[in-house]
Amino acid sequence: MIDQLAFLISEGFKNFFRNKIVSFLCILTIFINFSFLGSLFVVGYNTNSIVDFFRSKYSFEVFFVDNVKESSYQKVIDDLNSKKIISSLSLIDKNESAKIFKEEFGEDVVEMLGYNPLPISLKVYLDENDFDFNNVDILIESLQSIDIVDEVEYRGKYIDSVEDRINLAIFFYIIFVITIIFLSFQIISNTVRLSLSSRKDFIQILKYNGASTIFIKIPFFIETLINSIIGSTAAFFLVKYLFILINSYFDLSIQIDSYLWIWIIGFSSIIGLYSSNSSMKRNLYE
Amino acid sequence: MVELENTSFNYNQDSGIFDINLNIDDGEFCFLVGPTGSGKSSLLKLIYFDLIPDDGVVKVLGFSSKKTKKKNIHKLRKKIGVIFQDYKLLKQRTVYENIALPLHINGLGRRKINTFVDEALELTDLVEYKNKFPTQLSGGEQQRVCIARAIVKNPDIILADEPTGNLDPAAAHKILKILEQINKEGSTVIMATHNYKLITEKDYRVIELSEGALVSK
Repeated sequence: MIDQLAFLISEGFKNFFRNKIVSFLCILTIFINFSFLGSLFVVGYNTNSIVDFFRSKYSFEVFFVDNVKESSYQKVIDDLNSKKIISSLSLIDKNESAKIFKEEFGEDVVEMLGYNPLPISLKVYLDENDFDFNNVDILIESLQSIDIVDEVEYRGKYIDSVEDRINLAIFFYIIFVITIIFLSFQIISNTVRLSLSSRKDFIQILKYNGASTIFIKIPFFIETLINSIIGSTAAFFLVKYLFILINSYFDLSIQIDSYLWIWIIGFSSIIGLYSSNSSMKRNLYE
Repeated sequence: MVELENTSFNYNQDSGIFDINLNIDDGEFCFLVGPTGSGKSSLLKLIYFDLIPDDGVVKVLGFSSKKTKKKNIHKLRKKIGVIFQDYKLLKQRTVYENIALPLHINGLGRRKINTFVDEALELTDLVEYKNKFPTQLSGGEQQRVCIARAIVKNPDIILADEPTGNLDPAAAHKILKILEQINKEGSTVIMATHNYKLITEKDYRVIELSEGALVSK
């Protein structure tokens, strides 16, 4: 049994090396397909981050200077609360800032430096119904002119400019992924069909010598698995490093599932095996 | 062992096998003769279930063409060795690999495969060609490789479809001698041929076909 399995596995590898061009085409298709599918998976896995990213259009942060007095920033809070375009706001004191820092960077800044250098800040949420960029600009300008305000951080205009494009991109992206899956299925099926056709004599000889259907199929399955594993592993690395790049370029914190490689390789193997099996069902006994 | 009852298979109205009744016993050596297109190859194909009769039944080694499912035909073929006129060898594989193929299919271990292939190589006088490729061999040598591949699994039946068709008389005699040797060791041999000279030299059963019908048995 082990000898038979070893023979079938070696046949699968031989098939792979004999059909270099067809194998390359198959690997390329799987690579493209799973680069998109993997990206979609990462996007899905990070839905909350993306929603937060878009929602941050409706919020900004005000950082106060060091040693600001409570009475001073309370005045700013009261002033903001009275404005119609503000829906709510929350104060982040020095302790809260240290906590957030620890959550995001894993370091206790107070322990590290011996003091807390983080400023007191305000998270300001804008009313989405009365939202107007001009009003927000005026508000931010007025805040920046206050002595106790060190910095106002707002990325609203930038987010707004990419939001529409991203929504359109997602739509085309999904259509593209569906098309790619369909094409991938067709190409893997045709790859196997070509392999079957080029080894018609070999299959016939196997049959006449008593080979069962599964014995004939296994080398083709192995060939497809090799194609799937190579294509999807390359896709995994592309997706992983692409999102690392996006994270650093756009200053995002998109999480990449640590089991992404299992998901991509496993799913591509399933698609590969399914399409090659359906191709063999149609063509093996022609 | 091999039994055909009112067996017919039609390629079209005029060609095929028509209403054949035939019995071949264990250990027999018989010639299947007839002109080209008489149905010799079709009859052999019916015996290894490459063709399934339209009418009647073929029974081989306990397998019935009516009852055996397509997925189980390989079980019958494991017990039959087939020799083809066009050899059907794998050109990219060595003589050794070609002969070992049925043993891999039967799931034998490496050591047993080595032993059985060496025996088959000796019987067919091919030891020195072990590592050569079929394209490096003459027609007669290729046919002997085909025979070695058919006998290596020690089958109950050997079906030889015009094994001497492309060979000179000396090579043809050598092939026949090997088949006789296999028959002496217990395998039933059914050899299709139109080499009448070869037949007349031997005193074996002759089954004659003409236009798909049995003329003599």
